[in-house]
Amino acid sequence: MFFEFIKRNSRKVRKENGVYFASLAISIIAFYVILSLGEQDVMVYLKTIESDAVAKLLLMIPVLYAVSLFFVFFLVYFANRYQLQHRSHEFGIYLMMGMERKKLFAMIMGETLWNGLVALFIGIPVSLFFTELISLVTSKLIGMGIIGHRLRISWEGLGLTVFGFIIVQILAVFILSLRMSKKEPVDLLNEQKGKEQRILSSAWGWLSLLLGAVLLSAAYILAILFLRNLDYRMFTLILFVGISGTFLLFRGLSSLIGRWLKYKSSNSTGLLTFTGRQLQENVLHQWSSLAISSLLILVAMVCFAYGISITLGAVSDRTVDFTFEGSEKEIVSVLTSDKLKPYVKDYYPMKLHHFQSSYAEMPKNTATNTFSWEKLEESVSEEKDSKEKENLLRDLSYQSTPYLISLSSYNTLLKSTNKSPIVLGAHEVAMYSNERFSFFHDLLRKVLKSYPTIVINEEQYRLISTLYTSNLVADRAITISYGLIVPDDMYNALIESSEESVLWNMLLDSNFVRKKGLMQAMHQVDGLLSLSALKYESYLTSMGRQLFYMVAGGYTTLYLGMMFLIIANTVLGLKFLMQQRSTRHRYFTLSMLGASVKSLYWSARIQIWWYFVLVISIALISSIFGIWSMLGSFLVIPTTSNLKISTIILTTGIALIVFIIFEIIYIWMIQRKSDEEIKILQKIQ
Amino acid sequence: MKISDKLLQVQEVHKLYGEGQNETAALNGITFDVLPGEFLGIMGSSGSGKTTLLNCIATMLKPTSGKVLLEGQNISSFRGSHLAKYRGSKIGYLFQEFELLDNLTARENILLPLSIHGVNPKKAEELIQKLAKQFDIDEVLNKFPSQMSGGQKQRAAAARALISNPSIVLADEPTGALDTKNAKILMEKLSSINETDGTTILMVTHDANAASFCSRILFIQDGVIFHELRKKVPGESRNSFYERILTVIAQLGGGSINVL
Repeated sequence: MFFEFIKRNSRKVRKENGVYFASLAISIIAFYVILSLGEQDVMVYLKTIESDAVAKLLLMIPVLYAVSLFFVFFLVYFANRYQLQHRSHEFGIYLMMGMERKKLFAMIMGETLWNGLVALFIGIPVSLFFTELISLVTSKLIGMGIIGHRLRISWEGLGLTVFGFIIVQILAVFILSLRMSKKEPVDLLNEQKGKEQRILSSAWGWLSLLLGAVLLSAAYILAILFLRNLDYRMFTLILFVGISGTFLLFRGLSSLIGRWLKYKSSNSTGLLTFTGRQLQENVLHQWSSLAISSLLILVAMVCFAYGISITLGAVSDRTVDFTFEGSEKEIVSVLTSDKLKPYVKDYYPMKLHHFQSSYAEMPKNTATNTFSWEKLEESVSEEKDSKEKENLLRDLSYQSTPYLISLSSYNTLLKSTNKSPIVLGAHEVAMYSNERFSFFHDLLRKVLKSYPTIVINEEQYRLISTLYTSNLVADRAITISYGLIVPDDMYNALIESSEESVLWNMLLDSNFVRKKGLMQAMHQVDGLLSLSALKYESYLTSMGRQLFYMVAGGYTTLYLGMMFLIIANTVLGLKFLMQQRSTRHRYFTLSMLGASVKSLYWSARIQIWWYFVLVISIALISSIFGIWSMLGSFLVIPTTSNLKISTIILTTGIALIVFIIFEIIYIWMIQRKSDEEIKILQKIQ
Repeated sequence: MKISDKLLQVQEVHKLYGEGQNETAALNGITFDVLPGEFLGIMGSSGSGKTTLLNCIATMLKPTSGKVLLEGQNISSFRGSHLAKYRGSKIGYLFQEFELLDNLTARENILLPLSIHGVNPKKAEELIQKLAKQFDIDEVLNKFPSQMSGGQKQRAAAARALISNPSIVLADEPTGALDTKNAKILMEKLSSINETDGTTILMVTHDANAASFCSRILFIQDGVIFHELRKKVPGESRNSFYERILTVIAQLGGGSINVL
C-alpha cells in the first residue's frame, strides 16, 4: 500500500517536473561517459600501441569519477531541492493529517529511490547511445574509420554509474529531508511565500561592487603578467583575488541594478519596474550561486579552450608516413613490388647528418671542418632579455655544431606536402628547427629577419629569413633542435661518409588514405611491410602518442568543461524557477492589476535572459583573460605548427557558436517552464 | 432611473461548483445594483457566498449564469486583453493581505496599475502626491513594504487601488489583517475619499465595525441576499448604525430559521 503510494507520487512528479528528471538523466550520462572511457574505440586501439600511457590514464579515471561525484552532487541536490520545495505544501498536509515524521522521511526516501531507478532506466540507454556516438565521431575524426566498430558496454562503468548515482541521490535527499523534518507543519504549508525581503545598504552594495571590479581587474592583470612564471604562490594569489573579486562583484551588482531602475522607472511603462526589481531581488538573494555559476562557466570555457587547443595542436603536420633505413636497392625493390606499389605515392632519400668538425682523437687525414654561429649568437644577445633568449643562447653555445640537411631532400618533403620549395642563393643556407622546439621559434624568426651569418670552414654564409620546422622523418621521437639546410653540393662535400646511413621517406597514396582513413591505411601497409626484412619506422606510433595526448588531454578537459557548463546552467535555471515559484503570488497580483498573461510571460522571459546574461557575460570576460594567459603560459598551440590562424579562429568561432546555441537551448527550456508556471496561475483564477 | 445611472448591475448571478450529485450552488441567482458614489458593504457568515460574489465581480471567477454589468458592459464575458484592460484601470482592488509586491517600493507599487496600462508615471506625480497625503504615507513612498507597518502597507495598497481613478474599488476584507487602530484609520480614509471624491466602493467584510462606515449593507446567506441595511441620511450616527448591524449579525448567527 505504502509502495503503491510512492509509485503514484513518483509518476506525478515525472509528469510535472521534466527539469528534475532531465537533471537526473544528465548526471547519469556524466558518470557513464567518463567511466566507459576505457571502452572507447580510440582507447581500445591505443591500448595496443601505448599500453603504459593508457594504463596511467585509466588510473586517473577514479579521480575524475570522484570529481564528477562531487559536482553531480550539487546538480542532484538542487534538482531535488527544487522538487521538494514544489511539494512542501503537500508534505505539510501529510504531517497535519497525522503522518509521522519518520514515515514522511521514509516516503521521501522511497520516492527518491524509485525516481532514481526510473531515471536510470531512461538515463542508461541514453548514455550508452551517447558514448557510442562519441566513440564513432572520434574514430571518424582521427581517421580510424568506423568499419571495425563494435558496440561495447563497460559493465564495470555501468555498475559504478548506478552506484555513484544512487549514492549521490540518496545523500542529497537525506540532507534535504533532514532539513525539512526540522520544520514545523505551518512552515511547510506556507513554504511558497517568498523570503523576507532583504535590503542591502547601498553603501555596502557600491563598496562591494567597486572592490569586486578592482579585484577582478587586478586578477586579470596579474594573470597576464605573471602566470607564465608558473609560480604556485602567484597562481594561488591570482585564484584568490579572482574568486573573491567575482563574489564581491555579484554581491554588489544589485545596487547597480537598483540605481538603473531608479533612473529608468520614473518614466517607464509596462512591467519594466517589476521585471527589474525581480532581477535585482534575484541577484541580491542568489549572489553566491550566481558567482559560483559564473566561475563554473569560466572554468568550463578554459577547459574548452585547453581541450580544443590540445586537439588542434595534436594534429601536427603529417609529412612522412614511413621512414626506411638501409640500402637504396633493398628499399626500392620492396616499395616497387606489386604488393606495395598501389599504396605508395612517393618515396625519396632524406639526407641528413651531423656536421663533422674536428675533435681531439679524430683519425689523421680526415678533412677538418670548422663551424661557428657566433654571429647568430651575437644577434640573439642583442634582443631584449627574456627566458626564451636565455634558453636559446644556452642551447646554441651547448650545441656547437648543427645537423646538416640536404636541400633536395627537404624540398622533396616540402613538395610532397604541397609547400613551395626553398630557393637558396649563393652563400646562403636555411635554418631548421623542429616544431617541438617552438618555444624559442618566435625569437629565432625575429633574429633571422636581420640575416645573420654563420661561418663554415672560414667562409661566411648568410641565413635566409625563413625558419623551417617540418618533421623530417616518420618517427616523431627523432627531432633535430638546430639544423642547417644546405645545397646538395655543399652537403656532399661536408659529409663524406654519406653511404653510411641514408634514410628513405615514403608517403601513402592519398586516395587510399581518404578511402580507408589514415590509421586503417597505415595499419594495412604496416602489415605488408612487416613481412619484408626492411628496417623501418612508421608515423603510426607517433600518431598513437599524439592521439593519446589528444584523447587524454582533450577528452578529459572537454568532458569536465561540459560537465561544469551543464551544472552551472542547471543550478542557475533551477534557482530562477525556485525564486519564481516562491514569488508566484506577485504574478497573480499583477494580473489582477491588469497585466495581460502575455506581458507576464515576457517579464519572466526577460528576467531569465538577464539572469543568464549577467552570469555568462562576466564569465566570458574573465575567460578571455583566463584563456589568454593560459595559452601564453602553457603554450598549448605551438606557434610554428602548420595551423593557420584562420583554423584557430574558425574552431574558436565554432566552439563559441556551439556554446551560444547550448545556452539558448537552456534558456529556452527554462522559459518554457516559467511560462508553464504562469499558465498554472491563470488557471487558478 | 436610467440604466446608465447604475454603475454596477449584478443580474441573476449563479455560480455552481462541482458536477452531478456533488453540485453545490455558491451563488443562487443574486441580483442587486450599485449606484455611483455608493459605499456598499457585503456581509455574511463564512460559506455564505460573499467571497464568490466578489470574485465574480472582480473577474476572478466566471459566473455559471447571469451577468455582471459595469457601466453597462458585461464584464463577466470579457476575456484576454479585453479583460486585462478593465482590471486595474476600471476596477481597483484592495486585498486582505495587501498584496503589495515586496520587492517594489511603495511608490512603484502605487504606480504599477498606471505603468501596466501604459501611462507614463511622470504624469501621475501630482496624483500620487495627493493620494500619499490623503493616506498619510508620503513618508514611506520610497520604502519597501518590509520597512513599513501593516497599516501603512494597506494604505499604500488603497492608494494603488485608486491611482488609476477606477469606476469602482472592490475591497476584500481590507481590515482583516490590521489591528483595530489601523483598521479604523483605513476605514476613515476610505470613507472620506468616498465622500469627497465620490469614489464607489464595494467592500466584503465580516467586521461590523468596518461595515459601519458603509452607506448600505447587503447581507448574504446561502448565495442569496437575505437582508439589506441602509444608513439613515442624514442624522444616523456610525454608532447607531453599528448597533443595527450587530442585531442583524446576531440574527444571522442564530440561523435564518429563527428570523424568518
